[in-house]
Amino acid sequence: MSTPDAPDRSGRADVVPGAAAESPGNGPAPGTLREGSRRIFIAGARRRVAVHLIERMLATPDVEVILAVDRGACPPALLGCDPERFVYASADLSRRRQVDNLFLLDRFRDQPFDTVLHLAFVGNPHGYDFASHEFNVNAAQHLLDASLRHEVTKYIFLSSDAVYRIGPRGDYKVREDAELNLDPKAHPILRDTLDAEFICRAKMDFPGCEVMVIRPSGVFGGGVISGMNLLFESNPPILPVGFDPMINPTTKEQLAHDLLLATFLRGKGVYNVAGKTVGPLSKFLEERGIRPRRVPGPALQAVNRMQRMLGLTRYHAGFHPKRLYYSLVLDDAKFERVFRAHADKVAAVAKHLEV
Amino acid sequence: MQLFRPLLPAREWTRIEKYVVSDAGMGTDVFGTTPEALGLGYALGYWLHRHYFRVVSEGHEHIPATGAAVIAGNHSGVLPFDAVMLGTDVFRNTEPPRLVRYMVDYFVFRLPFLGTLFRRMGQMPGTRRNFDGAMEEGHVVGVFPEGAAALGKPANRRYELHDFNPGHVELAARHRAPVIPFGLVGAEEQQTMLADLRPLARALRLPYFPVTTTFPWLGPLGLLPKPSRYFIRYGAPLWIDPEALRSVEVRRREVERVRDAVAEQIRLGQETRKDYHEGRA
Repeated sequence: MSTPDAPDRSGRADVVPGAAAESPGNGPAPGTLREGSRRIFIAGARRRVAVHLIERMLATPDVEVILAVDRGACPPALLGCDPERFVYASADLSRRRQVDNLFLLDRFRDQPFDTVLHLAFVGNPHGYDFASHEFNVNAAQHLLDASLRHEVTKYIFLSSDAVYRIGPRGDYKVREDAELNLDPKAHPILRDTLDAEFICRAKMDFPGCEVMVIRPSGVFGGGVISGMNLLFESNPPILPVGFDPMINPTTKEQLAHDLLLATFLRGKGVYNVAGKTVGPLSKFLEERGIRPRRVPGPALQAVNRMQRMLGLTRYHAGFHPKRLYYSLVLDDAKFERVFRAHADKVAAVAKHLEV
Repeated sequence: MQLFRPLLPAREWTRIEKYVVSDAGMGTDVFGTTPEALGLGYALGYWLHRHYFRVVSEGHEHIPATGAAVIAGNHSGVLPFDAVMLGTDVFRNTEPPRLVRYMVDYFVFRLPFLGTLFRRMGQMPGTRRNFDGAMEEGHVVGVFPEGAAALGKPANRRYELHDFNPGHVELAARHRAPVIPFGLVGAEEQQTMLADLRPLARALRLPYFPVTTTFPWLGPLGLLPKPSRYFIRYGAPLWIDPEALRSVEVRRREVERVRDAVAEQIRLGQETRKDYHEGRA
């Protein structure tokens, strides 16, 4: 345990223990550094953002060990990681027993995890079937249940900005309390994302664990399966005539940075995470030298389907049909205030972190 | 942009170029406003303001040079040319130029091109969050408290004010911003509304469906307004009692105060028009 005057072995000087760091009646104040070193469970390790995040975490001395879990083999980028600090396991998170077994591995039985990051949500509309649905909802349920049973103190679920209802009466900046897309005709992925979020939100008042839901805006980055990234990787992107929505996408690097802050700092609840730059979709395309083609709105989904059949895109226009028509700019002022404003505290332990 | 350059004198282009759009990273502000679209909108508005509606206005000194304000007044004329003229008039007669941000009916943003153009000209859908955002960023917010339905007033109810919605008073009280009342005379005469086909309006999800002396008989051309001269008067700023946020009674009283102030500006505007036509102004 460090004291405010004496930095601990990692040079951390900003831990504010005791009453001074406590918010009224609610434990330590959001934005203060979590004490001790981190033992982290990451579900969905094959995602690009997860790979990036793990690389950053392993460069941080205060991360003691990471258990990365996904279906299939370990991503090549993580094969050379220090086996003392990084373990990869293949498991099906939709099976309760397999989830429990991960928490009971010899190495983690006596020194359990303190942080669980659930990034394993299957968000690709292509071939989304009952098995994917079962995986998404069950994994969220089992992982959270196991985390609470094994006294994990921080649980982070990476959701999506697609949960927001968008349309002509949209806000110029969408806050966390904005209307959600509860349309029963919405794509099953959206419904499952909301189900998983509600499972998390039902446990947000759990006293021993800070449950967080992070809703990132569209994420850019090579190989990232986000709607916005897939649109930009299309050849060419197809947009509806006469519409140019406002967006504020983030990048996988920035998202990994934000997840790192969420891991190291205290705070619970629902948070938007977005990029700093706000602008029209067409400007983002123009900036990257991409020339979109425009078609009349009613023909958009048919053209997109044809493009997918020809292998020219992986973007699925039917997944979030209003996304190319109406603005969705996330307001991440809350995350900024609670986490990014305290990035210097994390920077003291993670030297590579840009404040 | 170049196409519309002849519509504006060089000094007005300079003013547009000087108008600061707080860049959010891609050449637009967070609302999506672009200097190009502003230039286009202002060029068209300026031409209408100067040559078509030949607007006569007074009381610009009541519009604050900086900071948030709510500008509220009467609405009429079947199509909202009054809003265009008010926005142009404020931009033209304030230094530094101030852009009036309107809360626009949602259906506009469902329309291709038009919705995008409106957003690029700094207009936005009328949600509470958008109101708050515009005020927090220190903009002048234009409100027609009678609602869009007031555009479809029949000819025999000209210059009668509908009941005012209280949103503008709450907004001003919440942000401690003044309400600038204005009265606009002349827009009522640009169209003669004979009837409102409500079932058709409901089917088309429009606030009203007008039958005028020219529409629908002349097709879409029948919606074009007659070139009646506009008279705009701005009244002294009204500071809203913050109690309006807590008491329905105070809120009702403050709404009535704004409505009375608007009615007074309309009355003075009508007098100005009379004097003008009689050659005294």
